[in-house]
Amino acid sequence: MNRFDLLNKVQNILKDNLVICNIGLPSQELYKISDQPNFFYMLGSMGLSSSIGLGLALSQNKHVISIDGDGSVLMNMNTLATIGNRAPSNYTLLIIDNGSYGSTGDQRTFTDEKTCLKDVALGAGCKNVVECSGEETVNELNKAIDDKDNSYVIISKINSGNVKTDPIPLNPITIRDRFRKFIGKVKYL
Amino acid sequence: MKISKKIIDNLKKGGVDFYLSVPCKLLANMIDILENDKDVYYSAVPREEEGMGICAGAYLGNKFPCIMMQNTGIGNSVNAIVSLLQLYQMPVVFLISYRGTPGEPVGAQGGMAKITEDILQTLRIPMLHCSSEKELDKISIFSKHGKVVESPVAILCDFNLMKDDK
Repeated sequence: MNRFDLLNKVQNILKDNLVICNIGLPSQELYKISDQPNFFYMLGSMGLSSSIGLGLALSQNKHVISIDGDGSVLMNMNTLATIGNRAPSNYTLLIIDNGSYGSTGDQRTFTDEKTCLKDVALGAGCKNVVECSGEETVNELNKAIDDKDNSYVIISKINSGNVKTDPIPLNPITIRDRFRKFIGKVKYL
Repeated sequence: MKISKKIIDNLKKGGVDFYLSVPCKLLANMIDILENDKDVYYSAVPREEEGMGICAGAYLGNKFPCIMMQNTGIGNSVNAIVSLLQLYQMPVVFLISYRGTPGEPVGAQGGMAKITEDILQTLRIPMLHCSSEKELDKISIFSKHGKVVESPVAILCDFNLMKDDK
């Protein structure tokens, strides 16, 4: 199973939640599968999917899923400490861990060598940390969303590999405005 | 405490209701005030760039965020400012303790101080430079301005203004 297969499998869960999706191929593949107003596609700021989702979860009550990658978490590893200490129960961090920098040509990341993100997350103070296969991810995501008392970090171990996609054709303000409108706190549009 | 209280009062008057900080000695009193303020959200964060991401999410959730940091934090955050906050036109207030300005005892802070305003200018971020108590009165309208033009804005508080705020 690669990232595109996994996103296909979880798309029905994503549709019912606020989703922050990582820059590059994760966003492009998600857009190709199904474009929704409640999907915030990152067009820059690699590493910050987890952080954007955390700020959003702290600011309103709907459930937030940050879709992140192993390369991006390695770039902003302090985020796991902030999540461990501050994440509210409406927050789930889904790390798609394929051991490679998919958007830049599948160079290996350190999770394909010695680094274990589950151990890092636990050490950083995250309580509910699950490492699972791609197949198990649907089930684990559902459990995380159903648990109204705890936030979760799910590390989905899959194979590297990408499908052919195009850049996201939406402009950033469109992504921003339809997302904020979906949350229901802004009246414009 | 008087200066710090005035800054927070003005930020709140400007609508700011979500605060993060990467600590600085000069921000300590403001952090104390915010930790005891039940009306707004406050948390420390380990790194400024991460804070920019959290502020972006808070804005999406309809908060008006502020990140408090030393001027060195701008250096840590340039890409996040440009390719997140400015790309999606997200208003965030940067409340910056301007280390390395006259009165600063640590010489090594001078390096970032020399280029801080140049970086902000290059990024086209509106600046409010506070060197005296009188200028703090402009903070609320300046913050509102950031919200109106949907842009990050930077408030720089000089070392000498903050150092005796016991």
